[in-house]
Amino acid sequence: MISGCNPLITRFIAKSFEDIPRDAETVATKIEHPILPHVGLSILWVGHATCLIQIGDKVFLTDPMFGNTAGLISKRRIEPGIAPSSIDKLDFILISHIHFDHLHYGSLEMLSKTAVMLMPPGSREYTPEFGFSDYRELHPWEIFESGGVRITAVPVNHFNGRYGFDASWSESDTFTGYVLEYQGKTVFFAGDTGYDSEKFKEIGKRFTIDAALIPIAPIEPRDFMRRFHTDPQEALQVFEDAHAKTMIPIHHRTFVQGLDSSLTYAQDQLKHLVSEQHLEGRVLILNVGEQKILIP
Amino acid sequence: MTINSNENKTAMQEILLLQRSDNFCSLGNIFLHSPVMIRRRTFSLQRLLFFVPLLILMEQPAASQEHHSSVSSTWLILQTIPSLTWISLPAQINFALEWEATPVLYSFGMNRLDPRWHFMKVTQPERFAGSMEFNISAQLYTSKIGSSHWGFSGQIVTHLPLIERGEYLGLHLGAARYTIAGLSSTYLLGGVSTLFGFLHYTIKYSPVEIIWMHSVEFRFF
Repeated sequence: MISGCNPLITRFIAKSFEDIPRDAETVATKIEHPILPHVGLSILWVGHATCLIQIGDKVFLTDPMFGNTAGLISKRRIEPGIAPSSIDKLDFILISHIHFDHLHYGSLEMLSKTAVMLMPPGSREYTPEFGFSDYRELHPWEIFESGGVRITAVPVNHFNGRYGFDASWSESDTFTGYVLEYQGKTVFFAGDTGYDSEKFKEIGKRFTIDAALIPIAPIEPRDFMRRFHTDPQEALQVFEDAHAKTMIPIHHRTFVQGLDSSLTYAQDQLKHLVSEQHLEGRVLILNVGEQKILIP
Repeated sequence: MTINSNENKTAMQEILLLQRSDNFCSLGNIFLHSPVMIRRRTFSLQRLLFFVPLLILMEQPAASQEHHSSVSSTWLILQTIPSLTWISLPAQINFALEWEATPVLYSFGMNRLDPRWHFMKVTQPERFAGSMEFNISAQLYTSKIGSSHWGFSGQIVTHLPLIERGEYLGLHLGAARYTIAGLSSTYLLGGVSTLFGFLHYTIKYSPVEIIWMHSVEFRFF
């Protein structure tokens, strides 16, 4: 709230208000049954940082966000790629941090209660009871194991707090990434992060990653965003540092973010870079609601 | 303001006379001149408001106390920033700066890892996702009320979430004891909050003194 005095925030709020009369873009074909009977590894991009990951018989959902606004201010510009009710099996919910667009109470209420909710340290003070089977806070490099699934919290770069003023009194970093391992497949979910060569190279050393979900927005104003958000060029560098086989960009095209000139600003830049660096087969730019089977 | 007894009529007539004169300018004048403010009596509804929630609390299972972040120096410094309040008293609208503290809060809407009892330091969800708290506050009024710019209060309030676990809309019910210009009175209070618990509208009613107060608060605590 104190940060509301910042001219950048004022410009962002003004930009968000411009979107109020606009209707959210619809997703033409929504997958009604996203949980597949037999699959090695599949990823469905629901929008923003929300991905439905299936490895064999285990289902993971990252940063569930099905709401119409993030923090009452930023309006959703494209509807969620699937209905939350279509996720009829859910084993793990992974929360990267406690910002409104990643820890969304209304979305968590809609999900299956059989899941275990994993979150970074300090999140418990911001998480109401949703009736999930378990809640766990994971510190960097801490491992949670259940039913053959191994989930490691990995360090990333972002910022604390939920309401602005509370960022300054957090005693530890309330943000994280995760590496999921099951049946020999490995997925890296970077959450929301700025670029940090050391951290991502370390992740690359410790794991053999099949798929990396890496944020590419917001980009502008770069001087400010650089510390907390990777742009498409930096996201590709994370991809390289982590030695992942495949990258799927996330955290773009869904909400008004920063001062990016259009909703596809980051995606367009990424497309250009992918073409320039001949990464077409390895960087998969999914549409909202698109599901990709990476390992049958 | 309504009058429901002969005794109150007398007091009200006195206030109305004061209102017509230049002497009447604040709630403090009501306190200082009205005999209804001096009278004290037991009010059963107030007792209910205090004791029923306490009984509910006693029925709740014990929560994990294994971890809770401690009060830091940054947090302490930020607590010195006052909340902003516009309060409609019977005779005037006053702007006030308000400093609050929560000695104890029992949270019943949070996940099972979070402790239920909180002392001094409380996050917004711990309060607005469902809780009952005892808080104290000091108000600095921009206009003098009676002989002083200062008011003090103690409140027991239950917060009930309505939309988005209270972040978008919350309901608050409770009882408060206000001391302004050296005189105290008890109020029932009810209100709503929005914008993640930062913006509040509260109505306070003193059933003994028959006084209504309305306030809009930008609350920072």
